[in-house]
Amino acid sequence: MRLELQDVSARYGAVVALDRISVVVPSGTTAAIIGANGAGKSTLLGTITGLVPLAGGRILVDGADLAGLPTEQRVRGGIALSPEGRRLFPEMTVGENLLSGAYARRDRRAVAADLERVFALFPRLLERRGNLGRNLSGGEQQMCAIGRALMAAPRLLLLDEPSLGLAPAVVVDMARAIRAIAATGVTVVLVEQNARLALALAETGHVLEAGRLVRSAPARDLADDPEVQRAYLGELLPADRRASTNGAAICAPVVR
Amino acid sequence: MFQQFLVVLGLTAAIYMLLALGFTLIFGIMRVVNFAHGEFVMLGAYAVYVLQDVVGLDYFVALPLAALLVGLAGVLAEILIFRRFTGDELGSMIVALALAVSLKGAVTVIFGVEGPPISRAITGAVEIGGTLLPKDQLFAAAVAVLAVAATHLLMTRSRLGLAMRAVAQAPDVARLQGISPWRTYPAAFAIGCFLAGLAGALTAPLYSIEPHMGDAALMRAFVVVVLGGLGSIPGALIAAFVLGAVDAGMSILFNPTIAALTSFGIVIAVLIARPAGILGRA
Repeated sequence: MRLELQDVSARYGAVVALDRISVVVPSGTTAAIIGANGAGKSTLLGTITGLVPLAGGRILVDGADLAGLPTEQRVRGGIALSPEGRRLFPEMTVGENLLSGAYARRDRRAVAADLERVFALFPRLLERRGNLGRNLSGGEQQMCAIGRALMAAPRLLLLDEPSLGLAPAVVVDMARAIRAIAATGVTVVLVEQNARLALALAETGHVLEAGRLVRSAPARDLADDPEVQRAYLGELLPADRRASTNGAAICAPVVR
Repeated sequence: MFQQFLVVLGLTAAIYMLLALGFTLIFGIMRVVNFAHGEFVMLGAYAVYVLQDVVGLDYFVALPLAALLVGLAGVLAEILIFRRFTGDELGSMIVALALAVSLKGAVTVIFGVEGPPISRAITGAVEIGGTLLPKDQLFAAAVAVLAVAATHLLMTRSRLGLAMRAVAQAPDVARLQGISPWRTYPAAFAIGCFLAGLAGALTAPLYSIEPHMGDAALMRAFVVVVLGGLGSIPGALIAAFVLGAVDAGMSILFNPTIAALTSFGIVIAVLIARPAGILGRA
C-alpha cells in the first residue's frame, strides 16, 4: 500500500504539533521516522490512523484520500498500528489480544493461519497464550502488540517505538521480526527514538524536528550523514558504523 | 437451620447477581452510572404484569417477552439520552436520576400509586433434604443463575463480548482494532436492561409491585457493584455471594432490618480497607 502525506498539519489546541509534513512511502517499502522525544513522530502516526484530527493537508493511501474516514474504517481498509506503550488490553489473554486485532475480518481460516504465523514469528507468545496482557514482560507486550497489528492482515503497518524499553537481546529479536514482516511485502512506517535501529531496517528515513520535516533521504545516506550522526546516532567509530546493520550496534545506546 | 441458610443464601445471591450484572456491565463499557437501573427492573415487573394479567399471556411467555421489551427500552434510552453522556460519569448520573423520576411518574400516572395485584403462576413447594422450598423462588433463582451464566459466556466467548471488553478496557485501542464503540454501546444497554427487566419480571410474582420498587433494587445493585469494584463482573459475582450470605444469615438469626444494617456496615468496612472494591482497580 502506497502512503502519501501532503502538507499534513496537526495541532493540540494552540500548539502546532505537525507543520506541513509531506512524505511518500512507496508500496512494499519501509520508512523510518526519527527524531527526538516530542518531535511529533507519534502524532504523525495518529493522523494516519485518524485518532489525531488533521489541521490541514491530505493523507492518501493508494491514491485514495482518507479524509472523513473514522479510525475503525481505516483499520478495515488495511492500516494497522502497534501503538506507543503497547496498549494491550490488560484484562485479556494474549490469545484474545491477538484475536481482537482480527476483529474486522470474517475469513476464519485466514485468521487462524495468521495466528499461526504470529506464533511462528514470536514463539514466546505461544507459550504465554493464556496469560493476561497485564502480566506480560515489556518485551512480550511489545511482541503481542505487533502481533495484534499483524492479525489485522494490514497492507500498511505502523510501528510506534517497537524497541522502547526492551532489553538489548530482545531488540535484536524485534529487529529480525520487523525485517521478516517487511519482507512479506507489507508497507512499514517505523517510528523510533533508536535511530540506528530504524535506519538499519528502513529504505528511506525522515527526520522530524519540533513538528517539521527537516530531512528525507535514503536510510543509508542518513546513517552516514555527519549531522544526523551527531544529533541522533551519537559519535561512532567507523568500525561501529560498518557494523550498524548487525545486532550489537543496533542495541548501542543513542547518545545525544 | 444451616440448610435453610444455604437455601436463602442461594436465592438472594442469585437475584443480587442478576440485579448487579446489568448495572456493572453498562458502567464498565460506557462509564455511565445508570441510576435508572432500578426503574428498568420496575418496568420489567410492570411489563410482566401487563402481559400476563392484562393481555392474558402465560407467565412463561410473558417473562422473556417482558425482559426483551425492557432491553428494547434500554436501547432507546441509549440512543435518545445516554449516548451523549458516554464517559461523563457525573452528567450520566444526573440524567439517569431524571429518567428514573420520569419513569416512576409515568408508571404512577398510568397504573396508580398502589401497584396492581399480580397473579402467581407458580405455586406450591418441594421438599429437599428436609427443607421446604417454595417452587416460585426456586424457579426465580434458577433462571437468574442461568441468565448470569449466559451473560458470562456471551462476554467471554462471543465476538460481541470481545468487542465490549475491548471498549471497556481501552476505547481508543478498540477503535484501532476496527471495533466501533458506538455500535457496542446500544448492545451493552440492551443486555444490561434485559437483565434488569428479567430481574423485575422474575421477582414481581414473589413480592408486590409498585412504582417505587426500583429504589430497593438499585440500592442492592449499587451496593453489590461498589463492593465488588465498579465495572468488574467477577467482583460483582463475589460481592453478591458475600451480601447474600450476610442477608440470609442475619435475616434468619435476627430480622431483615439488622440484615440491611450489617450489609451496609460491611460495605463501609470493605471500602475503607479497599477503596476500589474487592476486585476493582482504582
